[in-house]
Amino acid sequence: MNDMRLTERVVTETAKMTARGVQVHYGTNHALKDVDVDILDKTVTAFIGPSGCGKSTFLRCLNRMNDTVASARVTGRIEMDGQDIYDPRVDPVQLRAKVGMVFQKPNPFPKSIYDNVAYGPKIHGLSRNKAELDEIVETSLKKAALWNEVKDRLTAPGTGLSGGQQQRLCIARAVATSPEVLLMDEPCSALDPIATAQVEELIDELRAQFSVVIVTHSMQQAARVSQRTAFFHLGHLVEYGETGHIFTNPSDPRTEAYITGRIG
Amino acid sequence: MSLGLLLLLLIALAALGYVAGRQRALAAVRGDARDLHSLPAYYGQAVALAAAVPGLLVMVVWLITQPLLVERTTLSLILTEDIGPGSSRELVMADIRRIAEGMGVLVATGAANEGEIAALATQPDALKDRLAAVNVALAAPISAPVAQAALVYRQSMETGQGAMAAAVLAVAVAGFLLALWRVTPAFRARNVVERVVQVLLIAASSLAILTTAGIIFSLLLESWHFFQLYPARDFFLSLTWSPKFGGGSDLGLWPLLWGTLYVSVIALLVAVPIGLMAAIYLSEYASPGLRAIAKPAIEVLAGIPSIVYGLFALMTVGPFLRDWFAQPMGLGDSSSSVMTAGVVMGIMLIPYVSSLSDDIINAVPQALRDGSYAIGATQSETIRQVVFPAALPGIVGAILMAASRAIGETMIVVLGAGAAAKLDLNPFEAMTTVTVKIVSQLTGDTEFASPETLVAFALGLTLFVFTLGLNVLALYIVRKYREQYE
Ligand SMILES: Nc1ncnc2c1ncn2[C@@H]1O[C@H](COP(=O)(O)OP(=O)(O)OP(=O)(O)O)[C@@H](O)[C@H]1O
Ligand SMILES: [Mg+2]
Repeated sequence: MNDMRLTERVVTETAKMTARGVQVHYGTNHALKDVDVDILDKTVTAFIGPSGCGKSTFLRCLNRMNDTVASARVTGRIEMDGQDIYDPRVDPVQLRAKVGMVFQKPNPFPKSIYDNVAYGPKIHGLSRNKAELDEIVETSLKKAALWNEVKDRLTAPGTGLSGGQQQRLCIARAVATSPEVLLMDEPCSALDPIATAQVEELIDELRAQFSVVIVTHSMQQAARVSQRTAFFHLGHLVEYGETGHIFTNPSDPRTEAYITGRIG
Repeated sequence: MSLGLLLLLLIALAALGYVAGRQRALAAVRGDARDLHSLPAYYGQAVALAAAVPGLLVMVVWLITQPLLVERTTLSLILTEDIGPGSSRELVMADIRRIAEGMGVLVATGAANEGEIAALATQPDALKDRLAAVNVALAAPISAPVAQAALVYRQSMETGQGAMAAAVLAVAVAGFLLALWRVTPAFRARNVVERVVQVLLIAASSLAILTTAGIIFSLLLESWHFFQLYPARDFFLSLTWSPKFGGGSDLGLWPLLWGTLYVSVIALLVAVPIGLMAAIYLSEYASPGLRAIAKPAIEVLAGIPSIVYGLFALMTVGPFLRDWFAQPMGLGDSSSSVMTAGVVMGIMLIPYVSSLSDDIINAVPQALRDGSYAIGATQSETIRQVVFPAALPGIVGAILMAASRAIGETMIVVLGAGAAAKLDLNPFEAMTTVTVKIVSQLTGDTEFASPETLVAFALGLTLFVFTLGLNVLALYIVRKYREQYE
């Protein structure tokens, strides 16, 4: 009996991604200083911290989106399932298929709703025929709590949806490639409370299949959806640990000051 | 008083008005600009505008109406029987103007004074000799009434000039004083100035529109004249183009339209792929440093006059295509060909396509690219499936603009494709286009009122309708594209 609980704990505590000594420079701007984080498998990790502290920067290291920024220089070691993702043999394109990302501002492609969601599966050849693709699109849209609103107009342009619907479309698009890790950079900043609640519910469901990393400015949201929380400040990772622990009993005075609203 | 001097006076008055208006406004509040309704400079501008604008208006109106009035009175001096056979009132009037001009030259060079001129007007032959001495040659002998009329014309014009100067200055000074008198702290100078500036802007834009309307109107009028002389059915349906100077010409539109479309299509086949690929390279792959050099370098192509491209077609491309393609393939041995003109025109259009497309591709939000990369798309997948479709409407607009340029191009065709109107499929055959024929019909030696000449206007109208349609389509598409992102 005890043994079983132990193995269960071990499974949930497996690190999906590990970051060690990660530093990021944008030209001469030292944006991220020596960050060590373990992203656990099948866990929601929240990144909190004041604006400009490097949350997005770190998030973008995890799927090598910083490669597209000419001035960015990343050092340190980030592993996924034990494999260094900055190894020259790793194709960032393949990596990004496994580490999906949802941006702060919804960015649907100027294509139909269907094509927006089908984009990733088509590129990665995840379906053998149209029926399978339809299936992927439908389940992804359902997961993103958008299916009921758009099922009658899948051929309408994705840019014609409301802001909140567009954001859920982007989530569906990211989910459609069945990533192993999903990175979300302030996914709810454009959403109303109802859509936010839907997305939070979605995040909780997604946790069953993969790890989710969410950047948020809402303490309540971090507390509601995450199991782990990392607090960044001025490019440093100040504190990282169990969400309940961070919010009730932070060990660093800066963390306490931030979550009680004294720095921000 | 000469026009230049008058203008200078107006400007001086306006400058004076600026200083005076500003001073007066400041003096009225003892130097404390905060008590003024507007900033001091606006009071200056208001006075300057009041001095310059009405004077200028009077000047413009006067300059337009005076010649009309003077010519009317002058022509009334010429009796109908004084107009010789084969001549007309217009020709006589042209002579009168020329003689009057010559008289002006005589006075200006000091060869004669006003009294001598008046005397000369009574001796047409002596007048003719004196005029010839100052390089004002006249074909026919001057008749007595014409000489007299020229004198009257000259004198009326001179008086008119003087009167105009007086009127303009009077109006300007009046405006100056009135505006200066109205400068008080409560005077809403800024509103007045902005209003006047707004009216000026409206006038400028309506001038542009009116000019366009005028051009279209004259095209329509002359085309209508043409269709009075030549059946529209033949023009639009005949497949032969062979103007004969004696009359009885075949003026079918199709050979020319075919040439135009053929050359344009070849030009676009060259320009669009190269231009688009250059644009994609520049906007998506090139490093900023390379882009900073390559983009202007490509745009230099747009600055080369089309006649230079024409020379290039004539001297280099034409013989090359003939020796390496046309002759070996047995497709003819003319160095002027549709292919030559099309290829060179295509090179000319590359910067239009690439530069516009590059701007449009750059305008595609980075967020879309990021979204695609984040899904694991490669750069080329992102460009093909996200960036390019997003930019497509704008790119189509750019291509249509290039197409309307190709249709209107003349020089390259004259030198590259020749002037023979033919309906032929062989691209190595000399053909010609609508624009070239417009030039050759108008520069021919035929009477202006003949169908051979007037056909140029009908051709021009056809071309205009074509390019207008393309431009409207392009604008529509580009505008639709803008709405998507703004
Ligand atoms: N593309 C870039 N080029 C140069 N500097 C950048 C770039 N992106 C971010 N930075 C810099 O890196 C630092 C961290 O930025 P980052 O976007 O990671 O902050 P953040 O924590 O996500 O803030 P926010 O909560 O406002 O989104 C900032 O100082 C920022 O100016
Ligand atoms: Mg951020």
